[in-house]
Amino acid sequence: MASNAIDRTRRMLSLVTYLRDRPGARVEEVARAFGVSEETLISDLRLLPMCGISYRGGDLLDIDTDGEQIWWHNADAVSGGAREPLRLAADEATALLVAARAVAALPGLREGDREALLTATAKLEAAAGETARASSRLTVTFESEGEVFADVDRALAERRRLRLRYYSPGRDAVSEREVDPIRMVVVGHTYLEAWCRRSEARRTFRLDRIAGLEVLDTRADPPALEPRDLSAGLVQPAPDDPEVVVEVGPAGRWVAEYYQPESTEELVDGGLRITLRTADPAGLRRLALRLGRDGRIVSPPELAESAVTAAREALAAYE
Amino acid sequence: MAIPKAERLMNLALCLRGSGRPLTKRELRTTIEAYLEVSGEDAFNRMFERDKDDLRELGMVIETVESVDGEIAYVARPGSNRLPPITLDVAEAAALGLAARVWQQARLAGAASGALQKLRAAGMPEADGDRDSGSVLEPRIPGGDAAFEPLMIACRERRPVTFPYRKSTAARPETRQVEPWALECWHGHWYLAGWDRDRGARRVFRLSRIMGRVTSRAGAFTAPVPDRVEVREAVAAWAGETALGRARIRLRADRGYPLRARAHEVRRIDDEWDELEIPHGHGLGAWLAEFGPDVVVLDPPDLRADVVDRLRAVAKG
Repeated sequence: MASNAIDRTRRMLSLVTYLRDRPGARVEEVARAFGVSEETLISDLRLLPMCGISYRGGDLLDIDTDGEQIWWHNADAVSGGAREPLRLAADEATALLVAARAVAALPGLREGDREALLTATAKLEAAAGETARASSRLTVTFESEGEVFADVDRALAERRRLRLRYYSPGRDAVSEREVDPIRMVVVGHTYLEAWCRRSEARRTFRLDRIAGLEVLDTRADPPALEPRDLSAGLVQPAPDDPEVVVEVGPAGRWVAEYYQPESTEELVDGGLRITLRTADPAGLRRLALRLGRDGRIVSPPELAESAVTAAREALAAYE
Repeated sequence: MAIPKAERLMNLALCLRGSGRPLTKRELRTTIEAYLEVSGEDAFNRMFERDKDDLRELGMVIETVESVDGEIAYVARPGSNRLPPITLDVAEAAALGLAARVWQQARLAGAASGALQKLRAAGMPEADGDRDSGSVLEPRIPGGDAAFEPLMIACRERRPVTFPYRKSTAARPETRQVEPWALECWHGHWYLAGWDRDRGARRVFRLSRIMGRVTSRAGAFTAPVPDRVEVREAVAAWAGETALGRARIRLRADRGYPLRARAHEVRRIDDEWDELEIPHGHGLGAWLAEFGPDVVVLDPPDLRADVVDRLRAVAKG
């Protein structure tokens, strides 16, 4: 893939500068410093001896490794500007500065970390010069529901159990449970991933739905779990969850964006027939009520019926 | 076996940065092995142009000069390619390391690690491995919108674009001509702010609703770019997070926690009902309808009518 060649070239350019100052550098340490696996580093080290300023008659980089240490026998083969670290590219300055500003603005961040980020950002801006301006075209705001954040953060740091009063929109009710925190994740909203003692399962709690919490003296004891891959989104419906079919008009098409439908089918009036799976179909009564004339639940029939009943009951209060 | 692209780029970079003098295209063609293997001048020229673009993307400043005998030559001068001195301490290095991990968008994730590697080569210390990582917080910036990359570049280079855009309530996309200003990620979604040429007004677009290719157009911007682009404010107002007034509702006891959480005032009426005063913004009617028989809207009358209207539509079955 082309982008791999780009990343690899960028890495090798920095490696050349880095290794020049460190004869006998350890593979393990260099891999860690560059944020790559030892395998990746070794494959870079295999390629570097093919590179050099060959117009002068074969001054290729004489770099080799025994898998433990790295030796460069002719560090002078690299001359002039190629010895020096390369300036930051627009993408690089953007990626680092935008991320640093976003993280620094997280309300729950520890003060020491925020301080370090802010000074690092200022130094980076100075070093990137004109290039830093590209980063003003991108902004990222993390929502980190400030009030409960500090307590959750403390529970994580001190490995203590939490008692949560947690709001479930599906049931429109607040319930109490004890959880052992695992980590906090910010994807749009801030979430706590924790082991729920009541359901004996891993659960994700949105911080802005925590109605109250208490840090307990009990030590948190979550089972050792593989971290979940959240790149596909936090809510991942299971294939055996019940199926719900919703038909919406053009104004209800947002439903297909908000949920992760299993399938969608265009309707002649510009609407959609949406099939989705959810562990808690009863919670979709809210959706039916919200949609009004913009859509309706087709199945399961009990769910459609419960929305009709709820609407009739609600109307009674206005008559 | 074909020579890996990374090897070819690396050789070109080392030649341009290390030669100390401009090298003509012919010199580069005859000394870099990968170029020697290319048959045909056209193929070589295309490859050479792409390679220079790739190196520029990595941060190199490559100058084009005319050599004494009138040939075009290239050089990456140390003065314009060197990273200025930067001294970061261990805490700063650790903080940047955490920040660099937030990107899920492939191009910027690669660029963020690349930036750290350059800083490392420039002497940035390593974070202490034993240090209490404390990074229990794992912020993520979502990637995945195909439109992100071309729009990021178009914003940077101030190039007008067109793209097919489907409004949230429209069945089919419509071509929009936009002068892109800035991208902003909010609540986990990317938005573009810019000047909509057909409507002659500023507009905010959600990237997930761009239904096809983003195409760059020739020519310059026609509208002035504002100093500060307010994406978030525009989206927040639309999402009902900007209050335009207040509403009064009755809410069943123990229900509607989010309504209570943002209420200006909650008064107990009897064992069954509370009365709340809540901020009134765009979309409140739809939200209140969700609570069905647990909410009764008292005021203002147009909100009350909106909710009744929605409920009637559902009650018809």
